[in-house]
Amino acid sequence: MENLDALVLARLQFAFTIAFHIIFPSFTIGLASFLAVCEGLWLTTRREVFRNLYLFWVKVFAISFGMGVVSGVVMSYQLGTNWSVFSQVSAPVIGPLFAFEVLTAFFLEASFLGIMLFGWKKVGPGLHFTSTVLVAIGTLISAFWIISANSWMQAPAGYAVLPDGTLTATDWWAVVFNPTFPVRLAHMALAAFLTTALAVGGASAWVLLRDRDQPESRMALRMAIGMFAIVAPLQLVVGHASGEIVRDHQPLKLAAIEAYWETRADQPQSLVGIPDRDAAKTHGEIAIPGIGNPIQGVSRDTVLKGLDAWPREDWPVVWLVYWAFRVMVGLGLAMIGLGLWGAWCCWRKGPEANRLFLMSSVFMAPMGFVAVIAGWIVAEVGRQPWVIYGVLRTKDAVSPVGAGQVSASLLAFMVIYAIVFSAGALYILRLLNRGPAPHEEAPTQEDRAPGTPLAAAPDEEAP
Amino acid sequence: MPDIIEGPPEADDPRPSWPSRLMWFALLALGGLAATAAVAYALRAMLGL
Repeated sequence: MENLDALVLARLQFAFTIAFHIIFPSFTIGLASFLAVCEGLWLTTRREVFRNLYLFWVKVFAISFGMGVVSGVVMSYQLGTNWSVFSQVSAPVIGPLFAFEVLTAFFLEASFLGIMLFGWKKVGPGLHFTSTVLVAIGTLISAFWIISANSWMQAPAGYAVLPDGTLTATDWWAVVFNPTFPVRLAHMALAAFLTTALAVGGASAWVLLRDRDQPESRMALRMAIGMFAIVAPLQLVVGHASGEIVRDHQPLKLAAIEAYWETRADQPQSLVGIPDRDAAKTHGEIAIPGIGNPIQGVSRDTVLKGLDAWPREDWPVVWLVYWAFRVMVGLGLAMIGLGLWGAWCCWRKGPEANRLFLMSSVFMAPMGFVAVIAGWIVAEVGRQPWVIYGVLRTKDAVSPVGAGQVSASLLAFMVIYAIVFSAGALYILRLLNRGPAPHEEAPTQEDRAPGTPLAAAPDEEAP
Repeated sequence: MPDIIEGPPEADDPRPSWPSRLMWFALLALGGLAATAAVAYALRAMLGL
């Protein structure tokens, strides 16, 4: 019983810490690219608005990057403290992927972040822009390795089991480019760009609700609309491709996502309902018959496995996977709607002229984060009871530690996270509330105190 | 309080020579790398590994 409690607490701790952690990389991946675009546009056009946008959002980036690193370190420690059996079994395969992430991505980001923040005047515009681009590339390389490792856990390939039960890689190409990896990487990268676009758009809309002529916020909102008007529909296509990968490699997860209780041809498409794992049915379900199979990309007479194809103790928490998926898809559709609405506003009088659109953008600002967390709940809870799909069960991967030890560290994490991340989030929200500042120009003759020698000086000679 | 994050040079700022810019580029990049490595080694030492 104690071991079961430790397992539940270890899972709770990992879920708690990773839900915090994923917020930051999903923001910094997109924000680093946004900064590179702003700086590139400033270098080519010399328009002050891009320079001011860069200087404003780079502060948010620096704080988010720092909090992402701190919360990420906690994740890797947990692999040793709470999941030592998983580490022992899978380290020869997973370990190098994490090491490559540190060597190729984290060091790249850490090296050039210093120039990005403290070196613009020292290295000049060209080398500074190079640094910003390298940091942006670093965030994407980091996503590459982490998604590769996670995808391998979803659909392991290129490995063998040694006599002592540990795993070893037999084909590194198959490990890194495992079957679910390419589509999941595209899905996550697009999610990060969408999350950032919604956050930048929402923060800009918030400023424009107070001052609709603020030039930096007007430009940022237009750039954000351009991003989510294009990326949100694209994400729908990539998300669907990701679903087809799940159908082929993780049919149990698909059965939980769609609440397929019964193995049959011509599955209905469940829209909403309350899945009941004990009764093996969905209460109050609204479903459309005849379209389940075509949506999954198979003919109506193809048999799709339902949850009844697996022992009941292997079923994941169906209601959580089912609803997390619907929250993610629902928010994705709302993002497509917001993008189309924003594009229409840009074509008419401009988005800043439509207060309802601005308020909707503010409301949608955190929804990218919600969608990302919902998506990861689908991926991780839907994978249960496996930590490495079909290879290692979660209950067999936990460290031989007591519930008291895990609950003590969980409590410590909750207190520390509440203090550190609340302070960080509060600071970011205060920055966003203030909005970007226009470039301070040298004071003109009218601005100077009358009767002073400075006031008499012509504008071009004034300091 | 002045901003810690450095903005771009103003139009009338003197432009540093290219060896100086390159030196700062290398110095800051290696500084970032060294700082990260120092934190990593310190953590490893703390854990007694």
